[in-house]
Amino acid sequence: MYRAAVIGLGRMGSTFDDEIQQGGSIFLPYCHAPSYVASPHTELVAGADLHAEQGAIFAKRWGLSEDHIYGDYREMLAAERPDIVSICTTARHRAPMMQDAIEAGVKAIWAEKPLTLSLAEADTVIDLSTRKGVAIAVNCSRRHSPFLTEARRMAQTGELGELLQITAYAECHLSHNGSHAIDTMRYLVDADVEWVFGEMESDEEAAGEEDLKGNGYLAFDNGVRGYIRAMPTGIAPWEFDLIGTEGRVRSLANGTDTQYYRWVPGGLRDEGLPARAPFPLPLSIQGTGLSVIADLVNAIETGSDPRCSAEDGRQALEVAVALRESHRQGGLRVDLPIADRSLRIMSVEIGGDAVPARVRRLQQEPAA
Amino acid sequence: MPEKSFRAAVIGLGRMGSTFDDEIEQGGQFFMPYCHAPTYVASPHTNLVAGADPHAEQGEIFADRWGLESGQIYADYREMLEAERPDFVSLCTTARHRAAIMINAINAGVKAIWAEKPFTLSLTEADEVLDLCDRKGVAIAVNCSRRYNVFFSEARRMVDEGELGDILQITAYAQCNLSHNGSHAIDTMNYLAGGNVEWAFGEMESDEKATADEDLMGNGYLAYDNGVRGFLRGTPTGAAPWEFDLIGTEGRVRFLAQGMETQYYRWVPGGLRDQGLPARAPFPLPTQIPSMGLTVIEDLVDCIETGRQPRCSGKDGRKALEIAIALRESHRQGGRRIDLPLADRSLRILSVEIGGDAVPARVRRMQRT
Repeated sequence: MYRAAVIGLGRMGSTFDDEIQQGGSIFLPYCHAPSYVASPHTELVAGADLHAEQGAIFAKRWGLSEDHIYGDYREMLAAERPDIVSICTTARHRAPMMQDAIEAGVKAIWAEKPLTLSLAEADTVIDLSTRKGVAIAVNCSRRHSPFLTEARRMAQTGELGELLQITAYAECHLSHNGSHAIDTMRYLVDADVEWVFGEMESDEEAAGEEDLKGNGYLAFDNGVRGYIRAMPTGIAPWEFDLIGTEGRVRSLANGTDTQYYRWVPGGLRDEGLPARAPFPLPLSIQGTGLSVIADLVNAIETGSDPRCSAEDGRQALEVAVALRESHRQGGLRVDLPIADRSLRIMSVEIGGDAVPARVRRLQQEPAA
Repeated sequence: MPEKSFRAAVIGLGRMGSTFDDEIEQGGQFFMPYCHAPTYVASPHTNLVAGADPHAEQGEIFADRWGLESGQIYADYREMLEAERPDFVSLCTTARHRAAIMINAINAGVKAIWAEKPFTLSLTEADEVLDLCDRKGVAIAVNCSRRYNVFFSEARRMVDEGELGDILQITAYAQCNLSHNGSHAIDTMNYLAGGNVEWAFGEMESDEKATADEDLMGNGYLAYDNGVRGFLRGTPTGAAPWEFDLIGTEGRVRFLAQGMETQYYRWVPGGLRDQGLPARAPFPLPTQIPSMGLTVIEDLVDCIETGRQPRCSGKDGRKALEIAIALRESHRQGGRRIDLPLADRSLRILSVEIGGDAVPARVRRMQRT
């Protein structure tokens, strides 16, 4: 049994699952605290948050006594000695917290996305975690979707033939939920991005460091080409379309529908018809968070990389930064890796993070 | 309107000029009559009066198939234009000679031209033809035929009437050489997006291909002046053959499997956090399904009578070519976005169909047997 603690006791750390009423894009338990409670591998032992209101809600919801709730995460790390720590704070503080957690001796980190704000921060964290042998899983959770995992298996075993194209329609800010979109593209094609072309929403947005929407063309090192539309997508909300010579998988409507196409005989001039076939489901489907924990436990015990590693988190950030650089340079393709490691994107979630969103809502409610 | 009031002739008596329809056994991508000669024969507006081709074998087959006398078949199209004085002329030769033939046909006094694609090889040629055609008031329809396919024109109607909301994205998966069948892919994107391309980014299949003038495959990102963004994959598309995906805020139309299936999506209540679900609805068919060739003729007749531009005009043909060239320029310049229009009008793409055009494909096949 591994001792687990959560830093940042807001929505993703604690109560996100309560909002979800339909499976598909995720399966429960999904977010951090309920996953630690449900997993056979872990015991939830502590939480840390600067804001006492968050701690009180967390303790009550997950049955912890008050003395396992800390205002200072460093104190918690020293007192509780967790094996696994979740980092669910604003992204602004993620890098120093990961470093402190590694130095405090944790075995594994389950971090929210984006991994960091700047490339330099990502480099520092990855250097340290590699030296200390600490596994970091980034919560780009589509890697734990049974549908997308199955799609990747089909790609890897050749069932889709040679991969050609990955298209994503995913309205998002490129760092914040763009972490999900870009990581999912990389996951499905199982390759690294060599260069990109990007267009941002506006020259002003591209010139700033604030998180922003944009579109891009991605050239992967295995020949696959990617197109991401993160500007508004209208009636095509969160789709991934993986196209190979022999088959195709489309993930639609925010992951709630998955379609599989393969060739059947027929069509004009007998060139074949792309026909929809039942999507092959895996034998069992577990909660998304339980899959992350099982993966992290395996990483601790075997030294393997988590399915969505810190390196994957850095790559997603670097692609987002490169898309913006392409626009900044007047519409020019930009090669990866990026030389200037000081580049960063102020992930949209950090706006107003001096007070957590839930605490702001509590403060706005009229006194009972 | 009197019966059969226009005299029509075909220049280039090969596959598209004459017998293409015989290969087609299923509707959707095409509705018959589609290609030139059978359309002129079937149209209530036109009489097919002549054909011209330098290859005697092509002329014989054409005369036999469409019931013309040998005196109505010409080896020299200029002689045909002079002798037959057609109102309509179809240009179904190799693209190598298209510009010169269009210029001669306009100067010979034709009222309308129905031209195969690509419109021309170079931008200069396209400019010259369009200048002359504007001066002489001749209507040119380019056979980027999806504009004359009822599914596509119905989608465009839905765009125009706001049924899809604001148009955001047009994606095309269409393996093609960018000038040859790229004419179709790019023109269809333009038609559905309802805007003009302001700039483009492109990646060609290789640096070598991008450097040369030969036709080539490539992918691209298109920025339209109405805010729509386009993605074209003209490199191999595997299990996604010839698709167009038109996405708006309120609705979406997808053309799949070479146009054999058309899907319509619109919002219905429900979904995660009640944000709505994109659900498939029946595609709204019009009350009649017109033949594509006959629709071209109706369009051209109306243009002759009103002076307006055809649904797929010579200018549309030039735009498709200019975008294809801009995509290649983007690659040539190291992966840079390229603004349209292009300053260098000498740029050209040697459409893949002109390879080996000294002898037509059918004549080559006959010589082998």
